[in-house]
Amino acid sequence: MREIAIIGAGIHKFGRFDGKSYMDIGREATINALKDAGVNWQDIQAAYVSEQFLPATSGPRILRPLGATGIPICDIEAACASGGATLKQAMLGIQAGAFDIALVLGVEKMPRGFMDPLMIFQEWQVDMGLATNPSYWAMRARRHMHEYGTTEEHIAKVAYKNHKNSVHNPNAMYQKEFSMEQILNSQLVCDPIRLLEICAPNEGAAALIICAREKASQYSANRPISIAACVHTLARYSADFRCPVDSLSANITNPGPTEVTAKMAYDQAGIGPKDVNCFEVQDTDAFCELEIYEQIGLCPFGEAGRLIDEGVTEINGKYPVNMSGGLICKGEPVGASHLGQLFELVMQLRGEAGARQVANVNTALGHVLGAGGNCAVTILKK
Amino acid sequence: MNDSSHNEVPVREGLLTRPLYPLEQVRLLGSRCKKCGEVMLGEVSSCANCAYEETEVVPLSKRGTLWTYTIIRHRPPGKYRGPDPFVPFAEGLVELPEGIRVLSVLDCPFDKLEIGMNLDLVVHRLYQNEQGNDVIAFKFKQG
Repeated sequence: MREIAIIGAGIHKFGRFDGKSYMDIGREATINALKDAGVNWQDIQAAYVSEQFLPATSGPRILRPLGATGIPICDIEAACASGGATLKQAMLGIQAGAFDIALVLGVEKMPRGFMDPLMIFQEWQVDMGLATNPSYWAMRARRHMHEYGTTEEHIAKVAYKNHKNSVHNPNAMYQKEFSMEQILNSQLVCDPIRLLEICAPNEGAAALIICAREKASQYSANRPISIAACVHTLARYSADFRCPVDSLSANITNPGPTEVTAKMAYDQAGIGPKDVNCFEVQDTDAFCELEIYEQIGLCPFGEAGRLIDEGVTEINGKYPVNMSGGLICKGEPVGASHLGQLFELVMQLRGEAGARQVANVNTALGHVLGAGGNCAVTILKK
Repeated sequence: MNDSSHNEVPVREGLLTRPLYPLEQVRLLGSRCKKCGEVMLGEVSSCANCAYEETEVVPLSKRGTLWTYTIIRHRPPGKYRGPDPFVPFAEGLVELPEGIRVLSVLDCPFDKLEIGMNLDLVVHRLYQNEQGNDVIAFKFKQG
Protein backbone atom coordinates (compact mmCIF):
# COMPACT_ATOMS: atom_id res chain seq x y z
CA MET A 1 0.00 0.00 0.00
CA ARG A 2 1.17 3.56 -0.71
CA GLU A 3 2.94 5.15 2.21
CA ILE A 4 1.51 8.50 3.29
CA ALA A 5 3.50 11.46 4.58
CA ILE A 6 2.66 14.72 6.31
CA ILE A 7 4.45 17.58 4.54
CA GLY A 8 2.73 20.52 6.22
CA ALA A 9 0.98 21.31 9.49
CA GLY A 10 -0.87 24.41 10.62
CA ILE A 11 -2.99 25.43 13.57
CA HIS A 12 -5.38 28.11 14.74
CA LYS A 13 -5.07 28.53 18.49
CA PHE A 14 -7.74 26.73 20.58
CA GLY A 15 -9.88 29.02 22.74
CA ARG A 16 -12.77 31.47 22.36
CA PHE A 17 -12.71 33.95 19.51
CA ASP A 18 -15.68 36.29 19.49
CA GLY A 19 -16.15 38.01 16.17
CA LYS A 20 -14.36 35.27 14.26
CA SER A 21 -16.40 32.76 12.29
CA TYR A 22 -15.57 29.06 11.94
CA MET A 23 -14.72 29.96 8.34
CA ASP A 24 -12.07 32.46 9.46
CA ILE A 25 -10.66 29.99 11.98
CA GLY A 26 -10.59 27.06 9.57
CA ARG A 27 -9.08 29.10 6.74
CA GLU A 28 -6.33 30.42 8.99
CA ALA A 29 -5.22 26.90 9.98
CA THR A 30 -5.37 25.84 6.32
CA ILE A 31 -3.25 28.76 5.14
CA ASN A 32 -0.74 28.05 7.92
CA ALA A 33 -0.48 24.41 6.81
CA LEU A 34 -0.10 25.36 3.12
CA LYS A 35 2.61 27.90 3.99
CA ASP A 36 4.37 25.39 6.22
CA ALA A 37 4.44 22.86 3.38
CA GLY A 38 5.27 25.46 0.74
CA VAL A 39 2.30 24.18 -1.27
CA ASN A 40 -0.20 26.34 -3.17
CA TRP A 41 -3.95 25.85 -2.76
CA GLN A 42 -4.32 25.15 -6.48
CA ASP A 43 -2.05 22.09 -6.05
CA ILE A 44 -4.38 20.46 -3.49
CA GLN A 45 -6.37 17.67 -5.16
CA ALA A 46 -8.92 16.83 -2.43
CA ALA A 47 -9.95 18.19 0.96
CA TYR A 48 -11.51 16.42 3.93
CA VAL A 49 -12.93 18.49 6.77
CA SER A 50 -13.59 17.22 10.28
CA GLU A 51 -16.27 18.91 12.41
CA GLN A 52 -19.23 17.94 14.57
CA PHE A 53 -21.14 21.10 15.43
CA LEU A 54 -21.04 23.10 12.20
CA PRO A 55 -23.68 23.44 9.47
CA ALA A 56 -23.85 21.51 6.19
CA THR A 57 -21.15 22.28 3.59
CA SER A 58 -18.91 23.85 6.20
CA GLY A 59 -15.84 22.53 4.38
CA PRO A 60 -16.67 24.23 1.07
CA ARG A 61 -17.67 27.43 2.85
CA ILE A 62 -14.28 27.54 4.58
CA LEU A 63 -12.18 26.58 1.59
CA ARG A 64 -13.80 27.88 -1.59
CA PRO A 65 -12.75 31.47 -0.89
CA LEU A 66 -9.18 30.24 -1.39
CA GLY A 67 -10.16 29.40 -4.97
CA ALA A 68 -13.06 27.39 -6.37
CA THR A 69 -10.77 24.87 -8.00
CA GLY A 70 -13.44 22.19 -8.34
CA ILE A 71 -11.76 19.63 -6.10
CA PRO A 72 -13.91 17.36 -3.90
CA ILE A 73 -14.38 18.83 -0.42
CA CYS A 74 -16.37 16.80 2.08
CA ASP A 75 -17.25 17.03 5.76
CA ILE A 76 -16.84 14.05 8.07
CA GLU A 77 -18.00 13.43 11.64
CA ALA A 78 -17.23 10.71 14.20
CA ALA A 79 -17.65 12.55 17.54
CA CYS A 80 -14.35 13.11 19.38
CA ALA A 81 -12.63 10.79 16.88
CA SER A 82 -13.71 12.94 13.90
CA GLY A 83 -10.15 14.02 13.12
CA GLY A 84 -8.96 10.42 12.89
CA ALA A 85 -11.88 9.29 10.75
CA THR A 86 -11.30 12.25 8.42
CA LEU A 87 -7.56 11.71 8.08
CA LYS A 88 -8.26 8.04 7.33
CA GLN A 89 -10.58 8.90 4.44
CA ALA A 90 -7.98 11.21 2.89
CA MET A 91 -5.32 8.52 3.26
CA LEU A 92 -7.56 5.91 1.61
CA GLY A 93 -8.05 8.23 -1.35
CA ILE A 94 -4.30 8.60 -1.83
CA GLN A 95 -3.73 4.90 -1.29
CA ALA A 96 -6.36 4.08 -3.89
CA GLY A 97 -4.57 6.33 -6.34
CA ALA A 98 -7.51 8.72 -6.68
CA PHE A 99 -5.24 11.66 -5.88
CA ASP A 100 -1.71 12.29 -4.61
CA ILE A 101 -2.05 15.23 -2.24
CA ALA A 102 -4.83 16.32 0.10
CA LEU A 103 -5.73 18.80 2.80
CA VAL A 104 -7.10 17.43 6.07
CA LEU A 105 -8.70 20.14 8.18
CA GLY A 106 -10.33 19.91 11.61
CA VAL A 107 -12.35 22.92 12.71
CA GLU A 108 -14.93 23.72 15.34
CA LYS A 109 -16.76 26.64 16.87
CA MET A 110 -18.86 25.16 19.63
CA PRO A 111 -21.66 26.87 21.50
CA ARG A 112 -20.73 28.18 24.96
CA GLY A 113 -21.76 26.20 28.02
CA PHE A 114 -23.03 22.65 27.86
CA MET A 115 -23.44 21.09 24.43
CA ASP A 116 -27.04 20.50 23.33
CA PRO A 117 -27.55 17.00 24.77
CA LEU A 118 -29.83 15.99 21.88
CA MET A 119 -26.70 16.03 19.70
CA ILE A 120 -25.72 12.82 21.50
CA PHE A 121 -28.52 11.57 23.76
CA GLN A 122 -32.12 10.48 23.27
CA GLU A 123 -34.91 12.69 24.58
CA TRP A 124 -35.87 10.33 27.44
CA GLN A 125 -32.30 10.39 28.73
CA VAL A 126 -32.36 14.19 28.71
CA ASP A 127 -35.75 14.22 30.52
CA MET A 128 -34.48 11.91 33.27
CA GLY A 129 -31.18 13.75 33.88
CA LEU A 130 -29.04 10.99 32.38
CA ALA A 131 -27.58 13.26 29.71
CA THR A 132 -24.61 14.83 31.46
CA ASN A 133 -21.56 13.84 29.47
CA PRO A 134 -18.88 14.15 32.22
CA SER A 135 -20.80 11.85 34.54
CA TYR A 136 -20.04 8.82 32.35
CA TRP A 137 -16.32 9.41 32.71
CA ALA A 138 -16.76 10.07 36.42
CA MET A 139 -18.48 6.72 36.94
CA ARG A 140 -15.55 5.00 35.22
CA ALA A 141 -13.22 6.82 37.61
CA ARG A 142 -15.23 5.72 40.65
CA ARG A 143 -15.13 2.08 39.51
CA HIS A 144 -11.38 2.24 38.85
CA MET A 145 -10.84 3.67 42.35
CA HIS A 146 -12.91 0.80 43.77
CA GLU A 147 -11.10 -1.94 41.85
CA TYR A 148 -7.52 -0.70 41.98
CA GLY A 149 -7.22 1.80 44.80
CA THR A 150 -6.69 4.74 42.47
CA THR A 151 -7.06 7.98 44.45
CA GLU A 152 -8.26 11.55 43.94
CA GLU A 153 -4.60 12.58 44.29
CA HIS A 154 -3.65 10.35 41.35
CA ILE A 155 -6.31 12.03 39.24
CA ALA A 156 -5.25 15.51 40.37
CA LYS A 157 -1.62 14.75 39.51
CA VAL A 158 -2.59 14.27 35.85
CA ALA A 159 -4.26 17.69 35.82
CA TYR A 160 -1.21 19.17 37.61
CA LYS A 161 1.13 17.76 34.95
CA ASN A 162 -0.98 18.92 32.02
CA HIS A 163 -1.51 22.44 33.40
CA LYS A 164 2.26 22.64 34.02
CA ASN A 165 2.98 21.59 30.41
CA SER A 166 0.45 24.05 28.98
CA VAL A 167 2.44 27.05 30.19
CA HIS A 168 4.76 26.46 27.24
CA ASN A 169 2.03 26.01 24.61
CA PRO A 170 0.99 29.30 22.98
CA ASN A 171 -1.87 27.46 21.18
CA ALA A 172 -3.58 26.30 24.40
CA MET A 173 -6.70 27.99 25.74
CA TYR A 174 -5.38 27.97 29.32
CA GLN A 175 -1.64 28.45 29.88
CA LYS A 176 -1.52 28.53 33.64
CA GLU A 177 0.05 26.31 36.27
CA PHE A 178 -2.05 25.26 39.28
CA SER A 179 -0.93 23.72 42.57
CA MET A 180 -2.18 20.29 43.68
CA GLU A 181 -4.05 22.10 46.44
CA GLN A 182 -5.81 24.40 43.98
CA ILE A 183 -6.79 21.43 41.81
CA LEU A 184 -8.05 19.34 44.73
CA ASN A 185 -10.01 22.30 46.10
CA SER A 186 -11.60 23.22 42.77
CA GLN A 187 -15.33 22.71 42.45
CA LEU A 188 -16.66 19.16 42.02
CA VAL A 189 -18.34 18.74 38.64
CA CYS A 190 -19.27 15.05 38.83
CA ASP A 191 -17.65 13.26 41.78
CA PRO A 192 -14.75 12.56 41.83
CA ILE A 193 -13.97 14.85 38.85
CA ARG A 194 -13.28 18.53 39.56
CA LEU A 195 -13.37 21.71 37.51
CA LEU A 196 -9.58 21.97 37.03
CA GLU A 197 -9.51 18.32 35.93
CA ILE A 198 -11.92 18.58 33.02
CA CYS A 199 -11.77 19.96 29.49
CA ALA A 200 -14.04 22.62 28.04
CA PRO A 201 -15.59 22.60 24.56
CA ASN A 202 -14.29 25.56 22.57
CA GLU A 203 -13.10 26.80 19.16
CA GLY A 204 -10.06 26.18 17.03
CA ALA A 205 -8.66 24.44 13.98
CA ALA A 206 -5.71 22.37 12.83
CA ALA A 207 -4.73 21.28 9.34
CA LEU A 208 -2.35 18.84 7.69
CA ILE A 209 -1.13 18.60 4.12
CA ILE A 210 -0.60 14.94 3.32
CA CYS A 211 0.65 13.24 0.17
CA ALA A 212 1.96 9.98 -1.22
CA ARG A 213 5.37 9.68 0.40
CA GLU A 214 7.09 8.91 -2.90
CA LYS A 215 5.95 12.32 -4.16
CA ALA A 216 6.77 14.30 -1.02
CA SER A 217 9.94 15.86 -2.36
CA GLN A 218 8.09 17.10 -5.46
CA TYR A 219 5.68 19.08 -3.33
CA SER A 220 7.65 20.26 -0.32
CA ALA A 221 11.15 20.89 0.97
CA ASN A 222 10.03 19.75 4.45
CA ARG A 223 11.29 16.43 5.72
CA PRO A 224 8.25 14.17 5.31
CA ILE A 225 6.75 12.58 8.41
CA SER A 226 5.23 9.17 7.77
CA ILE A 227 1.79 8.18 8.98
CA ALA A 228 2.68 4.68 10.15
CA ALA A 229 -0.92 3.94 11.20
CA CYS A 230 -4.29 5.64 11.41
CA VAL A 231 -7.14 3.54 12.80
CA HIS A 232 -10.71 4.51 13.66
CA THR A 233 -13.06 2.06 15.41
CA LEU A 234 -16.29 2.09 17.38
CA ALA A 235 -16.68 0.26 20.70
CA ARG A 236 -18.08 -3.25 20.49
CA TYR A 237 -20.99 -4.45 22.59
CA SER A 238 -20.38 -3.92 26.31
CA ALA A 239 -16.78 -2.91 25.63
CA ASP A 240 -17.12 0.54 27.03
CA PHE A 241 -19.35 2.69 29.17
CA ARG A 242 -19.49 6.01 27.39
CA CYS A 243 -22.39 8.33 26.66
CA PRO A 244 -25.08 7.83 25.44
CA VAL A 245 -25.01 4.18 26.60
CA ASP A 246 -28.03 3.29 28.80
CA SER A 247 -26.79 -0.06 30.12
CA LEU A 248 -23.91 -2.52 30.12
CA SER A 249 -23.75 -6.29 30.21
CA ALA A 250 -22.78 -7.76 33.57
CA ASN A 251 -21.63 -10.96 31.85
CA ILE A 252 -19.57 -9.85 28.89
CA THR A 253 -16.67 -7.42 28.92
CA ASN A 254 -15.10 -6.92 25.52
CA PRO A 255 -11.79 -5.07 25.29
CA GLY A 256 -12.41 -1.31 25.24
CA PRO A 257 -12.14 0.86 22.12
CA THR A 258 -8.81 2.41 23.11
CA GLU A 259 -7.24 -0.99 23.72
CA VAL A 260 -8.55 -2.40 20.44
CA THR A 261 -7.68 0.65 18.33
CA ALA A 262 -4.20 1.07 19.83
CA LYS A 263 -3.41 -2.59 19.23
CA MET A 264 -4.50 -2.34 15.60
CA ALA A 265 -2.39 0.80 15.17
CA TYR A 266 0.69 -0.76 16.81
CA ASP A 267 0.30 -3.83 14.59
CA GLN A 268 -0.01 -1.71 11.43
CA ALA A 269 3.06 0.29 12.40
CA GLY A 270 4.92 -2.88 13.34
CA ILE A 271 5.81 -1.49 16.77
CA GLY A 272 4.71 -1.66 20.41
CA PRO A 273 4.14 1.03 23.05
CA LYS A 274 7.79 0.86 24.15
CA ASP A 275 8.84 2.11 20.71
CA VAL A 276 6.82 5.33 21.00
CA ASN A 277 8.68 8.39 22.29
CA CYS A 278 5.71 10.60 23.15
CA PHE A 279 1.91 10.59 23.25
CA GLU A 280 -1.02 13.00 22.98
CA VAL A 281 -4.17 11.34 24.38
CA GLN A 282 -7.82 12.16 25.14
CA ASP A 283 -7.85 13.77 28.57
CA THR A 284 -11.51 14.74 28.54
CA ASP A 285 -10.90 14.62 32.24
CA ALA A 286 -7.79 13.82 34.25
CA PHE A 287 -9.00 10.34 35.18
CA CYS A 288 -9.43 9.21 31.63
CA GLU A 289 -5.78 9.93 30.90
CA LEU A 290 -4.93 7.46 33.68
CA GLU A 291 -7.18 4.81 32.21
CA ILE A 292 -5.63 5.36 28.78
CA TYR A 293 -2.11 4.69 30.15
CA GLU A 294 -3.30 1.15 30.80
CA GLN A 295 -5.26 0.76 27.59
CA ILE A 296 -2.45 1.87 25.28
CA GLY A 297 -0.02 -0.42 27.05
CA LEU A 298 2.14 1.97 29.12
CA CYS A 299 1.50 -0.17 32.22
CA PRO A 300 -0.56 -3.19 33.28
CA PHE A 301 -4.26 -2.62 34.16
CA GLY A 302 -4.64 -1.09 37.59
CA GLU A 303 -1.18 0.49 37.71
CA ALA A 304 -1.87 3.92 36.19
CA GLY A 305 -1.75 5.53 39.64
CA ARG A 306 1.77 4.25 40.14
CA LEU A 307 2.77 5.55 36.70
CA ILE A 308 1.71 9.11 37.47
CA ASP A 309 3.28 8.88 40.96
CA GLU A 310 6.60 7.90 39.39
CA GLY A 311 6.55 10.76 36.89
CA VAL A 312 6.79 8.35 33.94
CA THR A 313 4.48 10.52 31.81
CA GLU A 314 6.21 13.86 32.44
CA ILE A 315 7.90 15.56 29.48
CA ASN A 316 11.25 14.22 30.71
CA GLY A 317 9.85 10.82 31.76
CA LYS A 318 10.05 7.52 29.93
CA TYR A 319 6.60 7.91 28.27
CA PRO A 320 5.75 11.62 27.99
CA VAL A 321 1.98 12.18 27.65
CA ASN A 322 0.19 15.39 26.67
CA MET A 323 3.19 17.66 26.32
CA SER A 324 0.80 20.23 24.82
CA GLY A 325 -1.17 20.43 28.08
CA GLY A 326 -3.80 18.07 26.65
CA LEU A 327 -7.45 18.89 26.16
CA ILE A 328 -7.72 20.00 29.80
CA CYS A 329 -5.65 23.05 28.88
CA LYS A 330 -6.20 23.37 25.13
CA GLY A 331 -9.95 22.81 25.34
CA GLU A 332 -11.73 20.42 22.99
CA PRO A 333 -12.95 21.82 19.68
CA VAL A 334 -14.23 18.33 18.84
CA GLY A 335 -13.61 18.26 15.10
CA ALA A 336 -10.15 19.82 15.50
CA SER A 337 -8.85 18.00 18.54
CA HIS A 338 -7.13 15.00 16.94
CA LEU A 339 -5.54 17.10 14.21
CA GLY A 340 -4.41 19.48 16.95
CA GLN A 341 -2.71 16.51 18.62
CA LEU A 342 -1.03 15.60 15.34
CA PHE A 343 0.14 19.20 14.91
CA GLU A 344 1.84 18.92 18.31
CA LEU A 345 3.37 15.56 17.38
CA VAL A 346 4.69 16.92 14.06
CA MET A 347 6.40 19.73 16.03
CA GLN A 348 7.84 17.12 18.42
CA LEU A 349 9.10 14.96 15.52
CA ARG A 350 10.70 17.98 13.89
CA GLY A 351 12.29 19.05 17.17
CA GLU A 352 10.42 22.37 17.04
CA ALA A 353 8.34 22.10 20.22
CA GLY A 354 10.43 24.56 22.23
CA ALA A 355 10.17 24.14 26.01
CA ARG A 356 7.74 21.23 25.47
CA GLN A 357 10.26 19.31 23.39
CA VAL A 358 10.80 15.66 24.26
CA ALA A 359 14.37 14.51 23.58
CA ASN A 360 15.02 12.37 20.48
CA VAL A 361 11.50 11.83 19.14
CA ASN A 362 11.33 9.34 16.28
CA THR A 363 7.85 7.92 16.82
CA ALA A 364 4.75 9.57 18.31
CA LEU A 365 1.15 8.54 18.96
CA GLY A 366 -2.11 10.52 19.05
CA HIS A 367 -5.34 9.14 20.57
CA VAL A 368 -8.91 10.39 20.79
CA LEU A 369 -12.04 8.80 22.29
CA GLY A 370 -15.59 9.98 22.71
CA ALA A 371 -19.32 9.60 22.30
CA GLY A 372 -20.56 6.20 21.29
CA GLY A 373 -17.09 4.73 21.92
CA ASN A 374 -15.65 6.39 18.81
CA CYS A 375 -11.87 6.02 18.99
CA ALA A 376 -8.96 6.91 16.73
CA VAL A 377 -5.23 6.28 17.06
CA THR A 378 -2.61 7.70 14.69
CA ILE A 379 1.09 6.84 14.83
CA LEU A 380 3.63 9.16 13.20
CA LYS A 381 7.25 8.35 12.39
CA LYS A 382 10.18 10.44 11.22
CA MET B 1 -53.07 1.88 25.59
CA ASN B 2 -53.53 3.50 28.99
CA ASP B 3 -55.48 2.34 31.98
CA SER B 4 -58.95 3.86 31.43
CA SER B 5 -58.93 6.14 34.48
CA HIS B 6 -55.36 7.37 34.10
CA ASN B 7 -53.35 9.05 31.38
CA GLU B 8 -49.86 7.72 31.78
CA VAL B 9 -47.18 7.37 29.16
CA PRO B 10 -43.70 5.87 29.59
CA VAL B 11 -40.69 8.16 29.27
CA ARG B 12 -39.50 5.75 26.59
CA GLU B 13 -41.64 3.21 24.71
CA GLY B 14 -40.77 -0.38 25.48
CA LEU B 15 -39.00 0.45 28.72
CA LEU B 16 -41.72 -0.37 31.27
CA THR B 17 -44.29 -3.16 31.81
CA ARG B 18 -47.99 -2.38 31.22
CA PRO B 19 -50.28 -1.24 32.65
CA LEU B 20 -48.56 1.85 34.05
CA TYR B 21 -50.87 1.90 37.06
CA PRO B 22 -50.51 1.21 39.94
CA LEU B 23 -46.94 2.44 39.77
CA GLU B 24 -45.78 -0.02 42.45
CA GLN B 25 -46.45 -2.93 40.08
CA VAL B 26 -44.57 -1.50 37.10
CA ARG B 27 -41.21 -3.04 36.27
CA LEU B 28 -38.39 -2.36 33.84
CA LEU B 29 -38.35 -4.38 30.64
CA GLY B 30 -35.40 -6.08 29.04
CA SER B 31 -34.91 -8.11 25.87
CA ARG B 32 -33.12 -11.45 26.06
CA CYS B 33 -31.41 -12.71 22.91
CA LYS B 34 -32.73 -16.16 21.96
CA LYS B 35 -29.28 -17.13 20.71
CA CYS B 36 -26.60 -15.77 23.06
CA GLY B 37 -28.80 -15.04 26.08
CA GLU B 38 -27.61 -11.47 26.59
CA VAL B 39 -30.18 -9.11 28.11
CA MET B 40 -30.51 -5.54 26.85
CA LEU B 41 -32.53 -2.65 28.29
CA GLY B 42 -36.04 -2.14 26.89
CA GLU B 43 -37.65 -3.77 23.90
CA VAL B 44 -35.11 -4.24 21.13
CA SER B 45 -35.51 -6.22 17.94
CA SER B 46 -31.90 -7.21 17.31
CA CYS B 47 -29.24 -8.45 19.73
CA ALA B 48 -26.52 -5.86 20.34
CA ASN B 49 -24.06 -8.65 21.17
CA CYS B 50 -24.51 -11.14 18.32
CA ALA B 51 -26.95 -9.35 15.94
CA TYR B 52 -29.40 -12.29 16.12
CA GLU B 53 -32.88 -11.07 15.22
CA GLU B 54 -35.01 -12.95 17.74
CA THR B 55 -35.32 -11.67 21.27
CA GLU B 56 -37.85 -12.22 24.05
CA VAL B 57 -39.10 -9.46 26.30
CA VAL B 58 -38.48 -10.11 30.00
CA PRO B 59 -39.43 -8.05 33.05
CA LEU B 60 -36.30 -7.14 35.02
CA SER B 61 -35.85 -7.63 38.76
CA LYS B 62 -36.72 -4.77 41.06
CA ARG B 63 -33.71 -5.24 43.33
CA GLY B 64 -30.15 -4.72 42.26
CA THR B 65 -26.73 -3.66 43.56
CA LEU B 66 -24.70 -0.53 42.87
CA TRP B 67 -21.78 -1.07 40.46
CA THR B 68 -20.52 2.52 40.19
CA TYR B 69 -21.86 6.03 40.75
CA THR B 70 -21.28 9.75 40.59
CA ILE B 71 -23.04 12.86 41.87
CA ILE B 72 -24.37 15.41 39.40
CA ARG B 73 -23.57 18.80 40.93
CA HIS B 74 -24.95 21.03 38.17
CA ARG B 75 -28.27 21.13 36.39
CA PRO B 76 -28.14 18.74 33.41
CA PRO B 77 -28.41 20.50 30.04
CA GLY B 78 -31.51 20.55 27.87
CA LYS B 79 -35.06 19.87 29.06
CA TYR B 80 -34.17 18.10 32.29
CA ARG B 81 -37.46 17.29 34.08
CA GLY B 82 -36.14 16.92 37.61
CA PRO B 83 -36.74 19.32 40.53
CA ASP B 84 -36.68 23.04 39.79
CA PRO B 85 -34.75 24.73 41.34
CA PHE B 86 -32.10 22.11 40.72
CA VAL B 87 -31.10 19.73 43.50
CA PRO B 88 -27.83 17.73 43.10
CA PHE B 89 -28.50 14.02 42.65
CA ALA B 90 -26.65 10.73 42.39
CA GLU B 91 -26.50 8.63 39.26
CA GLY B 92 -25.11 5.13 38.88
CA LEU B 93 -25.09 1.75 37.20
CA VAL B 94 -27.35 -0.73 38.96
CA GLU B 95 -26.54 -4.40 38.42
CA LEU B 96 -29.61 -6.63 38.13
CA PRO B 97 -29.72 -10.44 38.45
CA GLU B 98 -30.61 -10.78 34.73
CA GLY B 99 -26.99 -9.86 33.93
CA ILE B 100 -27.45 -6.21 33.02
CA ARG B 101 -26.21 -2.96 34.56
CA VAL B 102 -28.74 -0.19 34.08
CA LEU B 103 -27.93 3.53 34.24
CA SER B 104 -30.28 5.22 36.68
CA VAL B 105 -30.85 8.21 38.88
CA LEU B 106 -30.28 7.13 42.50
CA ASP B 107 -32.50 8.23 45.36
CA CYS B 108 -30.00 7.92 48.19
CA PRO B 109 -28.20 10.25 50.64
CA PHE B 110 -24.75 10.92 49.19
CA ASP B 111 -22.92 9.71 52.30
CA LYS B 112 -24.69 6.33 52.04
CA LEU B 113 -23.57 5.66 48.47
CA GLU B 114 -21.38 2.59 48.35
CA ILE B 115 -20.48 0.19 45.56
CA GLY B 116 -22.27 -3.12 46.23
CA MET B 117 -25.17 -1.58 48.21
CA ASN B 118 -28.71 -2.86 47.59
CA LEU B 119 -31.06 -0.70 45.55
CA ASP B 120 -34.77 -1.03 44.73
CA LEU B 121 -36.66 0.11 41.65
CA VAL B 122 -39.00 3.09 42.05
CA VAL B 123 -41.36 3.91 39.20
CA HIS B 124 -42.57 7.49 39.42
CA ARG B 125 -44.26 10.41 37.67
CA LEU B 126 -41.47 12.51 36.18
CA TYR B 127 -43.58 15.37 34.75
CA GLN B 128 -46.81 16.16 32.95
CA ASN B 129 -46.37 16.54 29.20
CA GLU B 130 -48.05 19.04 26.87
CA GLN B 131 -50.95 16.64 26.23
CA GLY B 132 -51.66 16.50 29.96
CA ASN B 133 -50.33 12.96 30.36
CA ASP B 134 -48.21 11.86 33.29
CA VAL B 135 -44.82 10.77 31.97
CA ILE B 136 -43.63 7.74 33.91
CA ALA B 137 -39.93 7.15 34.56
CA PHE B 138 -37.79 5.12 36.94
CA LYS B 139 -35.02 5.50 39.48
CA PHE B 140 -33.49 3.28 42.16
CA LYS B 141 -33.50 4.00 45.88
CA GLN B 142 -31.47 2.76 48.82
CA GLY B 143 -32.73 -0.76 49.67
